[in-house]
Amino acid sequence: MSFVPGQPVTAVVQRIEIQKLRQGDKLILGFSIGGGIDQDPGQNPFSEDKTDKGIYVTRISPGGPADVANLRMGDKIMQVNGWDMTMVTHDQARKKLTKQKEDVVRLLITRKSLEETVRLQLKSMLS
Amino acid sequence: MPAEVKQEQSPSNATSLAMMQEPQEVVEETVTIEEDPGTPTSHVSVVTSDDGTTRRTETKDVSANVKVTKMVKTVTTRTVRQVPLGPDGLPLPEGTSPLGSYTDSIDRRYMKNGSDRFITPQATSTLTRSYNNSYNDSYGETPESQYIRHYGLHDGYADLTDNYGSLSRGVNFRPPRYPYMPNSYRPENSYTLPIRKDDYGHVAQPQVPMGSSTVDLNRSQPERFQPEPYGLEDDRRSLGPEDEEPYELEPDYSTANRRTLPGPNRGRTHREPLRDMHRVRGYPDDPIEAELIEERHPYIHGMYSAPLAQPERGSMASLDRMGGRRSPSIDSIRKDPRWRDPDLPEVIAMLGHPIDPVKSNAAAYLQHLCYENDKIKKDVRQLKGIPVLVGLLDHPKSEVHRKACGALRNISYGKDNENKVAIKNCDGIPALIRLLRKTNDMEVRELITGTLWNLSSYESLKMVIINHGLQTMTNEVIIPHSGWEHEPNEDSKPRDAEWTTVFKNTSGCLRNVSSDGAEARRRLRECEGLVDALLHALQSAVGKKDMDNKSVENCVCIMRNLSYHVHKEVPGAEKFQDPSALQAPGSAGPQRKKKDDAGCFGGKKAKEEWFNQGRKSGDNDKNYDTLDLPKRTEPSKGFELLYQPEVVRLYLSLLTESQNYNTLEAAAGALQNLSAGQWTWSNYIRATVRKEKGLPILVELLRSDSDKVVRAVAIALRNLSIDRRNKDLIGSYAMRDLVSNLPSGQQRPAKNLEEDTVVAILNTIHEIVTDSSENARSLIQAQAIEKLVAINRTSQSARETKAASHVLQTVWSYKELRNALTKDGWNKSHFQPAVTVTPKATKNGKPGYDDTTLPLMEKNQGPRKCGSGDMIPMDELCPDGYSTIDQRDKDCKYKTDDGSADPTEREPLKNDTNRKHYIRSNRPAVSLVDACDVKPQPVDSWV
Repeated sequence: MSFVPGQPVTAVVQRIEIQKLRQGDKLILGFSIGGGIDQDPGQNPFSEDKTDKGIYVTRISPGGPADVANLRMGDKIMQVNGWDMTMVTHDQARKKLTKQKEDVVRLLITRKSLEETVRLQLKSMLS
Repeated sequence: MPAEVKQEQSPSNATSLAMMQEPQEVVEETVTIEEDPGTPTSHVSVVTSDDGTTRRTETKDVSANVKVTKMVKTVTTRTVRQVPLGPDGLPLPEGTSPLGSYTDSIDRRYMKNGSDRFITPQATSTLTRSYNNSYNDSYGETPESQYIRHYGLHDGYADLTDNYGSLSRGVNFRPPRYPYMPNSYRPENSYTLPIRKDDYGHVAQPQVPMGSSTVDLNRSQPERFQPEPYGLEDDRRSLGPEDEEPYELEPDYSTANRRTLPGPNRGRTHREPLRDMHRVRGYPDDPIEAELIEERHPYIHGMYSAPLAQPERGSMASLDRMGGRRSPSIDSIRKDPRWRDPDLPEVIAMLGHPIDPVKSNAAAYLQHLCYENDKIKKDVRQLKGIPVLVGLLDHPKSEVHRKACGALRNISYGKDNENKVAIKNCDGIPALIRLLRKTNDMEVRELITGTLWNLSSYESLKMVIINHGLQTMTNEVIIPHSGWEHEPNEDSKPRDAEWTTVFKNTSGCLRNVSSDGAEARRRLRECEGLVDALLHALQSAVGKKDMDNKSVENCVCIMRNLSYHVHKEVPGAEKFQDPSALQAPGSAGPQRKKKDDAGCFGGKKAKEEWFNQGRKSGDNDKNYDTLDLPKRTEPSKGFELLYQPEVVRLYLSLLTESQNYNTLEAAAGALQNLSAGQWTWSNYIRATVRKEKGLPILVELLRSDSDKVVRAVAIALRNLSIDRRNKDLIGSYAMRDLVSNLPSGQQRPAKNLEEDTVVAILNTIHEIVTDSSENARSLIQAQAIEKLVAINRTSQSARETKAASHVLQTVWSYKELRNALTKDGWNKSHFQPAVTVTPKATKNGKPGYDDTTLPLMEKNQGPRKCGSGDMIPMDELCPDGYSTIDQRDKDCKYKTDDGSADPTEREPLKNDTNRKHYIRSNRPAVSLVDACDVKPQPVDSWV
């Protein structure tokens, strides 16, 4: 997914709701994120557009809450509980995800396979 | 005339690439069609190459046979240049061991006996392609292909069906136009007709000084449609922009003539035609002509009608097609049988006529007659017409030398090299060069350079052209049109290159001659201003984002050729032979890599500092990282520019932006050439490619639809992996794309790559996994074993089988991987050669083995090989869960050895110390970028 800064983003998104898991005295989601506007986007292996400074899911702990909720490695997180995640620092994203008073996070994510699926469907509809 | 030029013109095809791509099927159809008309089209073949792999294949099949041996040769040369690696890296003595067998397979194409073991696999592969006709396709796509095609055209003309095939391709281009064909005279013709129409339109424009693009189109098209339309076109050409009427008339002429000459009819009438010619072409300046002109109008109709009487059949049809314009003349022609066309000896005699317009008209007529007609060309030669034409080149009247030049261009076109030799034998080449120096007329310059381009396709004339014309072409055309200036004034602005036809023709000619071996390369490299101007032109193309045209393609191909063997052939190269390379080849020392694990995004350096302090390898790394280039007191110029690390960015820009497969292949080939060998500069080049983030660009191109591009890129990656760090990165990020190009089991992948390409990829994989169990693990994770085993067992190609078998043996030689392999259900038998292989190879001391098998590897690398022991056990690196995931996903994830289990948050940006934890073994396919210390480490945080 690429976008032009300042322009609305068009993306195929999926809503994912993750129930946090209590581990000790912490609530965890069971995945890790990478990216952010303070990170080097060129090192993000998941983005197609190497200038994309979005937040990406980099790892999933097997069987963890994120895994159960069908989050996948490489997913790009667009929103967390309604908060935009396309223009935030890495740490801001982390904090939004790890608020201890919330035990559910709702993510809006996009992934390549979704876009491809939609594109294929559109294609078949058009043809 | 344009047709002749067309060989060179292939670029036009490139322009239209977009269009072409769509209908592969169409192409096939075209092929059949072409047979009928007997039109030889070089264009078609060209198109094919441009479009995509598929087309190529088709083309290849058809055209490969057609092409003349000589042509093939030319191609070969180029190819060879492309592949620079082999000779350097290969250890001769080792050839005996497993390597030897390896080499053989590779070389086969090249030498049937496989006698040349010395040739590195890479080199061999490249060479082979060009060498063998069958391979032509892939390589042919490159510059050579064009030539091949050209030849093919002629052949086709002569009578080869195959050629037709090539023609069809050209036709494909135009599929849309078919509808235009108005006449249903003959089914076959109908095909041709549409073409004509196009040409016609173009032609009309070209005569007037039009944009170069138009001209190109004309030229290219004419080739395709050789049949009658050509004649028409030629006529137009000769007529020049001046008069419309004559123009129309001439076409009739031409048709008539054609029929007449070959046939028995010739004798019938007298020489009316001559008059016509005068009239038609009358030149206002010339008093005589003026008189003629006055006469001409009244006569015109009569004249035309006369020739027409006979020519009804095919020619008529063509005329009709052309459109309403001609119909009147046609009618008159049919009615009036009085006139006859001059026969060939008469025309040639007229070349010596005291009246200049007669000379020029005779030459123009000759040009027309020769168009697409090999028989007439031969007749002209045997009637000693060529020396007369060459003599006219020095004629002071521009009309005369222009027409003479046009005739020579057509005569020089085609597979019949004797025509070319005949031009050379009467000192035609110096005469052309003289004229080039003298004239400022753009059209004449186009004709001259077009003729030279045609001549340059014949091997034995290349050196002659270099001797007589290199500096002149450079000074008169290349430098001025490239926009480069020797010593720019302060007030002069840097100029952009102009993609004129003259430039295109000249660069095409130089491209051809640049393939004539070491001496030719030396002459070109040392030609003052040439390399500078070519580079300037290419940089200008990149700056303007105008990288798909033929001129750019030619320039890149020249650069690629000149980059071949720079490390051996350039004056003073000995000084740069890297002594350290002998010890610790290409990249850093053997040990460091293991611990550092190349794949990581960041952190390498930190790790190195941690672990490798004081090590020699550490020092090496440092060198590469800082790119400690030799100091220069003055800016580099001339041939030195060829291998300065700065060119890497240029080639990478081309690789990123160009849509022209030939350009892509040549740019990859240039990098391949530059990264071969062991001198200091190739070390810098390899490191620079990494620094400039070139590896991801190259890997991306592994997905190209173009077979030859994939092949060139694969070989380039192999050379680049001589650098240890590159090897690690490539192993991490390119493996998946390399493997996906391999055929799987019964069905071949969608791309259906050629054997050459598959072998090249297998060799590259072999190079990458050799001496790197880490990379071997990546290979396993990329699910390659299944494919390799399938190739090893079932491939029809012995070369593929052998190459796959070598890879498998190498993989099996890593004992630490056997567990994983066994778990996946593989056992030793899968890794043994399907037929006869020396099982020992696996077990042998690695150093020897590696050297032998891998042509690319430098002997020096020996030390590294032993390194496998040093490697970090894979287990450490990847938790299983992750690794599996990675394999599946096209995009890899960041790998960490921390394991998913670790829930701890990392503080973003503070990772320096933690780097080693991050991202380890599995590398995302995307980022091949070498992690530099400068960059912040990628951070990821558990949440």
